[in-house]
Amino acid sequence: MKPLRIALTKGRLENDTVALLEKIGYDCSAVKNKGRKLILPLGDNMEVVLAKAADVITYVEHGVCDLGVVGKDTIMEHGSSFYEVLDLGFGKCRFALAAPKGCDFWNGYSSRTIATKYPNVARNYFAKKAMDVQVIKIEGSVELAPLLGLSDAIVDIVETGTTLKENGLEVIDTVQNISARMIVNAASLKLRKKEIEELVERMENALKEEKNG
Amino acid sequence: MKKYNLVTPEGTKDLLFEDCLAHRKVEEILSRSFAARGFQEVVTPAIEFYDVMDPAVSGINPEIMYKTVDHHGRLIVLRPDSTMPIARLASTRLQNQPKPLRLYYTQAVYRNHPGLTGRQDENMETGVELLGAGGRRADLEAVLTAVEALSQCIPDFRLELGHAGFFKALAAQLPVSAEKREEIREIVEAKNYAALNSLLDELPASPSVSAMRRLPRLFGGEEVFSQAEPLCITDEARGMLEYLRTLYKDLANLGLKERLMVDLSLVQRNDYYTGIVFSAYTENWGDAVLMGGRYDKLLENFQCPMPAVGFSINVTAVAKLLLEKGKIQKPKAPDVLVHGENGYELQALLYASRLVEQGGSCENSVFLSLEEAKEYAAQRGIGEIVLVSDAVKRITVDEKGGKKA
Repeated sequence: MKPLRIALTKGRLENDTVALLEKIGYDCSAVKNKGRKLILPLGDNMEVVLAKAADVITYVEHGVCDLGVVGKDTIMEHGSSFYEVLDLGFGKCRFALAAPKGCDFWNGYSSRTIATKYPNVARNYFAKKAMDVQVIKIEGSVELAPLLGLSDAIVDIVETGTTLKENGLEVIDTVQNISARMIVNAASLKLRKKEIEELVERMENALKEEKNG
Repeated sequence: MKKYNLVTPEGTKDLLFEDCLAHRKVEEILSRSFAARGFQEVVTPAIEFYDVMDPAVSGINPEIMYKTVDHHGRLIVLRPDSTMPIARLASTRLQNQPKPLRLYYTQAVYRNHPGLTGRQDENMETGVELLGAGGRRADLEAVLTAVEALSQCIPDFRLELGHAGFFKALAAQLPVSAEKREEIREIVEAKNYAALNSLLDELPASPSVSAMRRLPRLFGGEEVFSQAEPLCITDEARGMLEYLRTLYKDLANLGLKERLMVDLSLVQRNDYYTGIVFSAYTENWGDAVLMGGRYDKLLENFQCPMPAVGFSINVTAVAKLLLEKGKIQKPKAPDVLVHGENGYELQALLYASRLVEQGGSCENSVFLSLEEAKEYAAQRGIGEIVLVSDAVKRITVDEKGGKKA
C-alpha cells in the first residue's frame, strides 16, 4: 500500500507537529535533516510533504496528500471541502479587528474601509454583523494601512499585540481564536479509515497527556 | 482590447485523441450497462431556466451556476446538475407514462469554481434516475445498477452507504435554533470533532446531545450499526437505521461485502436527498467518483409528486483513472496511405473507398509527389503506402526514411 502522505505547513507548525510525531514514536530524523528535499519519509509507512499553508489545503483537497496540518486561519480564508478532525492546540493566536487607539469604530453610518491579508475572513465577519464594508487586500504589514489613512481598521492575526501597540492600534474585537488543525481528504478517510483514525487518536492522546502533565 | 482567442476559459479544456477515446469508452460501457437494465436515454438542454435549479430545492449554491439571460430578460443557467432537469422532464412530458420510469443520460454539467484551484468547470457525467418507485426493491436496483456499471470501468472501488434522514432525525431533537442546527450540520459535514464538542458542551446534557457527539465517528464497516443502535433516540432514527442495516445485509448477500462501507453522518450533498445516499470512492481520486441517493420529495416541486432514486458517475474522473492505469491505447494510425500519381487522383479515391468498404483503414494522400507522401507517412506512423497508377504498387514505409521535419 502507498504510504500515508501528510502535508505540513512549513515553519513553526512543522516543528510542533514533528515534535508531536516524535512523541508518539515516529522516526522523524529525515524531516529534521531535510536539506532541500520537500518529500521525506516518516517511519515506515508515512511520508511528509512540506508546503506553504494554503498549499497544504490544496494538496489535501485534491487528495494528493491524505492528511495536512494547517492553521485555522488558512482554513477560514481558503478552506472548503475536507474533514477537520483534530484541534492540535499549538500555533495559537487569534484573528482580531484593530483600529487606531481611541477611535470609535462602531459609531456613525459612514462606510468603513478594512485592510487585511485575509479578505474572505474580513468579509464573512462583517457580513455576519450586517455591515457593508470595503475590503482592501494588503500583502505586507497591514498595520500600515490605517496609519497612512488608507483604511479605518484592519483584520489581522494577533499573537502578542506588540506590533499593534507600537503603531498606536488597539484590538476592538476578536474575530476568531486560531490554532493548528489536522485536516483529512474525504476519500482518504473513507478508504484508509483504520490507519488515519489510529494516528489521529495517538496524537490526540499525546496532546491530552501534555495538557494534563 | 485584449483578445482571448488562443485559450479556453478556466476550468475547461480540449480533449484530444486518447482523452476522447477514454471518455467515449467509459460512456459506452456505462450506457450499455444501463440500457441492458431497461434504462432509456434522454438528453436535456444545456441551458435551463434558473428556476428549475432553485437553490432552496436543489441545494446548489447559486454562485457556482453559470448564468445568462434570454431575450425576455429571464435568468438562464448552464445546467449544473442533471437530476433537476430530469425531474422537470418526468413531471411534464412523461407524467402520463406508466411508472416507474427508467432514464439515463450522458451529458456535461457546468459549475463555476473559483479560479486557479485546479477544478474542472465542465464535467461529463452519466447517470440514471429511477422515477415513480420507492422502497427496498428500487433502492437495491439503483445501488446494484451503479455497482454493475462502475465495476466494468474500475474494478476496485468502495461503496459507501448512508441515510440522508439520519442526521436530520437526531438534529431535530436538539434544543437549538434553526441557525444553530445549520451550524451543527456544517460541523458534522466537516467531521470537525473539536468544534462539535465545544458547541455541544454549551447544551444541557441529554441523550440527543451525546448522540450528536458520536455521529461524525459513525462510519466504517458493519460494526457501525451496533454502535449506532444506542444513539437512536427516536423511532424515526431507529427505523432508518434498521432499513439501512437490511439494505447492507442484502448487498452483502449479493457478494458486495468487501466493497461496502457505512457513514451515518453523510449530511453534505444535495439537499434533495430524503432516504438512502451512496457514493463510490477509489484510490487516486480525492473525491467520490459516483454519488446518488433517494429523493422522494423533489418531484413535488414540479407538481408531480413521486418517489425517485438515482445516481451519477463522474465520467471525466473515471476516464482519467483509466488513462493513468494505461488501460487506454493511443489511437492507431490507419493501415495505409493511398497515393495516386498525377492523373490518377480519382482512381486513388476509388481504391480508398473499396479498401474502407472491405474493413480496412486508410488516409488519402493530398501530396503532389510520392516523396512528400513518404515523408508524411513516416511522421504519421503509417506503415505502408499504396501507390495507384496504371497498376497498384505497395511500398513499405521505412520509419526513419522520411526527412526529419
